[in-house]
Amino acid sequence: MIATILAAVMLQVQDTTQTLGPATIYGESKRQELMHLTLGSVEVGHNYIENNFSGTLMQSLSSIPGVQARAIGSGQSKPAIRGLGFNRIAVAVDGIKHEGQQWGDDHGLEIDQFAVDRIEVIKGPGALMYGSDAIGGVLGIYTNYLPVEPFEGRVNLFGRSNNLSAGVSARLQGRSGHFYWRMHMTGTDYADYQVPTDEIEYYSYRIPLKNGTLRNTAGREADASLSLGYVGERFRNDFKLSETWAKSGFFANAHGLEVRLSDIDYDASRRDIDLPWQSVNHLTLHNHSHYHGDGFTIDSNVAWQWNHRQERSEPVSHGYMPVPPDDLERDFSKHTLTGKLGGKVDFSPQNQLQTGADAEFQHNRRGGWGFIIPDFETLSGGVFCIDRHSFSETVNLNAGVRYDHVFTSIHGYQDWFTTPDESDIPVYKQRSSDFQRHFDSFTWSVGVAWSPGRWVLKANIGKSFRVPIAKELGADGVNYHIFRYEKGSSDLNPEESYQADFCINWVGNKLTLRLDPYFNWFPNYIYLNPASEYYEGLQLYTYTQAQVLRTGFEIQAVWEISKHWELEASGEYLFARQMSGAKKGYTLPFCPPFKADVSAKYAFLGDGFVKLDVRVAGAQREIVPPEKPTDGWYTLNLSAGKSFSIGKTLLKTSLQVENLLNRRYYDHTSYYRLIGVPEPGINASLMLGIDF
Amino acid sequence: MTPPEIIPSADYTSPLNCQVFHQGGVLPVSWTFTDNVELGSFNIEVHSNHDHHTHSTEAEDCPEAEHEEHAAEGNLWVFNKDYAIPAGSTSYDVKMNIPIPADAAEGEYHFMLRVTDAAGWQQLRSVSIHIEHAD
Repeated sequence: MIATILAAVMLQVQDTTQTLGPATIYGESKRQELMHLTLGSVEVGHNYIENNFSGTLMQSLSSIPGVQARAIGSGQSKPAIRGLGFNRIAVAVDGIKHEGQQWGDDHGLEIDQFAVDRIEVIKGPGALMYGSDAIGGVLGIYTNYLPVEPFEGRVNLFGRSNNLSAGVSARLQGRSGHFYWRMHMTGTDYADYQVPTDEIEYYSYRIPLKNGTLRNTAGREADASLSLGYVGERFRNDFKLSETWAKSGFFANAHGLEVRLSDIDYDASRRDIDLPWQSVNHLTLHNHSHYHGDGFTIDSNVAWQWNHRQERSEPVSHGYMPVPPDDLERDFSKHTLTGKLGGKVDFSPQNQLQTGADAEFQHNRRGGWGFIIPDFETLSGGVFCIDRHSFSETVNLNAGVRYDHVFTSIHGYQDWFTTPDESDIPVYKQRSSDFQRHFDSFTWSVGVAWSPGRWVLKANIGKSFRVPIAKELGADGVNYHIFRYEKGSSDLNPEESYQADFCINWVGNKLTLRLDPYFNWFPNYIYLNPASEYYEGLQLYTYTQAQVLRTGFEIQAVWEISKHWELEASGEYLFARQMSGAKKGYTLPFCPPFKADVSAKYAFLGDGFVKLDVRVAGAQREIVPPEKPTDGWYTLNLSAGKSFSIGKTLLKTSLQVENLLNRRYYDHTSYYRLIGVPEPGINASLMLGIDF
Repeated sequence: MTPPEIIPSADYTSPLNCQVFHQGGVLPVSWTFTDNVELGSFNIEVHSNHDHHTHSTEAEDCPEAEHEEHAAEGNLWVFNKDYAIPAGSTSYDVKMNIPIPADAAEGEYHFMLRVTDAAGWQQLRSVSIHIEHAD
């Protein structure tokens, strides 16, 4: 189902030069598009990303109902779908799961947003295609645009007012006969970001902010990629090498065990990056081959990803740990090898079968004086089979099954310094021990799409899963970023989820309405529970499992009033409740409050537009320790864009102004909400693009 | 859904902000924890504030401290211990005497109390104290 369509859409995009526009396409094409999948999905093209350009890719996508950008500081954000984020959603780049974001909570996606052609958001379990991690949804990112001209390209210049960011991105590509090439380069530099407050309170510390500037949140990013490809009658091959690099500071007053007056003069410059800071490298080599015969297709993907992250901070002693020798607090190096083989067979015009097998190997090594995640290796494999059957023009049925086996080997770790034991004898404390785990999962999904008249109705029910990651199994250390001691549990079971999704669409000529309700049950959600005990002076958090119920909906109405005017209203609501365990009766962390957007768009002279948007969020009183209730808020936002033709070149401009009224508010889903940092005030982003 | 509270004890409260203690003496602790459901456990921490960082709950720089430029001479005393509270308690009085090392560096210290309830909410209280030479 999803798989079939994903693949079909992938082929379509590779076959044509079309890039899809804003998500709203009316009439018959809309109806047909909706009929493809039995699970709710939203697809956006690079026009949408550019028109909504606001700093990070995720922020650009957060206007899609059900998608949240969870701010993690430094102007970066992590994706969340229906409140589930981190490793509960799969981010896949050209079909390969993007590996790297799971270790730390405070770095964003290592993806060059200017290289993205198209994004598909699957708001629901995508386990059949992607296996573990896709339990809450899939963010499918595609960069595999196929050039048509012998030489074409684009240069983008962009800037953002709040953190004084400036950047340039270039993409060059060309095609000669059966061969093509693509090249991307992006560079960004940003300063410390500002919030509309003079002071924040973190733990029991009062931190004055000079000019509302969050000290040391500046950063830099540089990305490059090169693709070479062959496209023949039946065979196609695409080889891609890409590297993203980023260095960013951590907010100087909320990192480390103590808020201390450092000798570093953080207020000297908004652009410099002092300790503590992090750097991340993500290198990817990816080869995709495709063959289509009569009534069947075969696809193979092989990829290697190397993710290297370092966190550096001023060496300070803590407890029994003496002053470390250098500033390398943590070093993670993870290699991921992925292989996927898939095939599709058309048994008849009404029936198509898709099957595939994939395997993945991960190898993670740590370094530095701070311990939190052990070394590990993970080997996983899965097979799946999906059948799509059309009973008539208006009724489609999808059904699929998948089996996965995962083997994880965790390595023991002992402190490099001694701690006195009960009898006051100094010992090198064991933080994690050697152990191996095997996990099996059987998942399934079945769905139907029915389109009587102007209606498109969909229902899908399925089971998905997520294998516990090394952090959940073997973490044993201080989380510096949030002042707590985190302890994994080696006996966790694979997290399972049963979800029913519905999608009700009414597609008129001028008006489209859409409602996506869902109902979700986790028998054993993996939850980081704040315990009542202290461990080495910090509150202990342990990984546990609990039954969790989640239900909610997204709603959207688009009304094309006239040639010039369009009104859109959308909203999302989520209810989450832990039904067992230590936090029975509580919700889940970072539970998004209801949110609604109402916007009016005026279109002029072809593709020119001005759009005014009011975003309203409800108060969130459903919280878990250590969260605080968050008041409701509203913001007024403006976006505008227009392109101009100058001979053969096309000049594109887009402007986005967020929080026009410079209101001070807290976003409950922001990581920095926990340390009392409000959201940025008025913030303008400008982008200029030249297509040639 | 509410964190526990740290309140002054009925009989006497110690330490209080800007209170002075002596090297080789004791630091008497007397505070009261309350919770509407059930208390969890607590932690007591004493660390030097020779760099004059600020806590917001109570610990302000004491007037005399502003003029002192204590070089970090001797042992920058660190005390950090976790304690359990009997199950089922909704109120608990901390009463103990913490010995102060005779070689503890003179100057300003922060005394911190942390308490959790059974649900995992946490409350903190910090107090500035002074350690001086025993007369």
